Amino acid sequence: MSTTTYTLPIGPLHVALEEPMYFDIQVEGETVRSVELAAGHVHRGMEALAMQRNYFQNVTLTERVCSLCSNSHPATYCMAVENLSGLLVPERAKYLRVIADEVKRIASHLFNVGIMAHLTGFDSLFMHAMEIREIMQDAKEGVYGNRMNLGQCIIGGCRRDIDEATAPFLLGQLELLKPQLDELYGVFERDPLIRTRTQGIGLLPFEEAKRHAVVGPVARASGVAYDVRRKAPYAVYADLDFETQSDTKGDVHSRALLRLREAVQSVKIIEQCLRQIPSGPINVREVPVIPAGEAVARSEAPRGEVFYYVRSDGTDTPQRLKWRVPTYMNWEALQVMLANCQVADIALIVNSIDPCISCTER
Amino acid sequence: MFPFLKIMLRNLLLGPSTDAFPFAPAKTHENFRGCAVFDPEKCILCGICHHVCAAGAIQLRPSEDGAGMQYLLWHNSCVFCGMCAHYCPTGALTMSNNWHLAHTGAEMFSNCISSFIPFGECAQCGAKIQPRPQAIIDKLGVRSPERFLLCPQCKRQSIVRNVAQVRSTRRQENP
Repeated sequence: MSTTTYTLPIGPLHVALEEPMYFDIQVEGETVRSVELAAGHVHRGMEALAMQRNYFQNVTLTERVCSLCSNSHPATYCMAVENLSGLLVPERAKYLRVIADEVKRIASHLFNVGIMAHLTGFDSLFMHAMEIREIMQDAKEGVYGNRMNLGQCIIGGCRRDIDEATAPFLLGQLELLKPQLDELYGVFERDPLIRTRTQGIGLLPFEEAKRHAVVGPVARASGVAYDVRRKAPYAVYADLDFETQSDTKGDVHSRALLRLREAVQSVKIIEQCLRQIPSGPINVREVPVIPAGEAVARSEAPRGEVFYYVRSDGTDTPQRLKWRVPTYMNWEALQVMLANCQVADIALIVNSIDPCISCTER
Repeated sequence: MFPFLKIMLRNLLLGPSTDAFPFAPAKTHENFRGCAVFDPEKCILCGICHHVCAAGAIQLRPSEDGAGMQYLLWHNSCVFCGMCAHYCPTGALTMSNNWHLAHTGAEMFSNCISSFIPFGECAQCGAKIQPRPQAIIDKLGVRSPERFLLCPQCKRQSIVRNVAQVRSTRRQENP
């Protein structure tokens, strides 16, 4: 123990962290020298719970892994089970799943950039971002029935159709959102307060991004244009026209801007879906037969790739259900991003990977 | 220089965007998934709601005299996923948009749907079968209305009789 450095414990409960995580930080003056992460504060044993519940109940359980990606989890779980049972999802249901996924993505990204404004101390911008997000929250409540847990996916399709009443409502909300989103992008791009606090910090170079195999907006902001929706299209993403956003700067600022650009793309995707959606059934009515075997599925959650593995022994309860979430890869890269940063920037950098601790520790 | 100033002024002029709840009603969408509503008239005790309920909020308890089942749905355990309502084949369970579920601690163990569902009786032998309310007979029993009201054993016998009848008629027609 030298006299120039000392250990700064941050977390698990800390005003600047949204979720419990413990950082053991070696500090020299105001500069971070090394970081140790310790997790496990919100472990709920959900994988063990999943093995005690049947396939239907697990749809609801996986939806409650995390509130911000609460559609990606059941959707990917259902995809894995459908892969295992060979169940074909109707075309209309695939569109409905994409719509639900993108609605959640917009809300999740707006939440993250809002929190970033909050962490820079710019609370009026935080409130404004949350107010814009409220447009999407209203859309979720009006179309699906809940602000967070949409309850849209079931094994074999979707539950709530978007009909003559809800389609115009959803489109109306998107029309409200679009100008606000563009305006918000302008603020985050140009505002001197945001730029001074966030540009050039939390750098993750391309090589390090590759080495840590980061995913989602963190990877894309560092020049790794990896998006499951394009690399391994599922549902109907292959038929949709959207651009994978990427950047090369790899700092906190570029990650926030990238998320806002992705939200704009998501609006585009939803509009296309509502135009192209074919008529037909929204789920298969028969009860699926789930044979013994194993299957995987992956999808692009707001934070990156989420991966599900299911193994069945032929009973109505999975023998094993395992999932890997994007934050698991992303938080290791924090050691690179936090190296030599200022103590005041720690919370900002941690937030820039959009950590979802409840997903990761489950 | 400060692009946010314009937005901030605009937001100030627009006033608060929150609902004045509890002094004024809060805006609730028609589609909102609130507390479950149960119609005992339509329940056929199939138990799918219990099977899909991840929260374990639904219980079906056989009554001691064997006359039926006590149906229980605990609002405090319910997570409002609406899976029960989705899978209910008869529409006995629906989700209302009522979210006003605050109650005193004393009501904790009475805040549930509790209904006694009597078993039905086989129209032929009188054995206990799942309930056959009129609404369900109209919906599911239209294909063979007489057989729908029978217990599994009488149903089998009725089918066998029908098959035998068809065969003997055929034999008479083509000897």
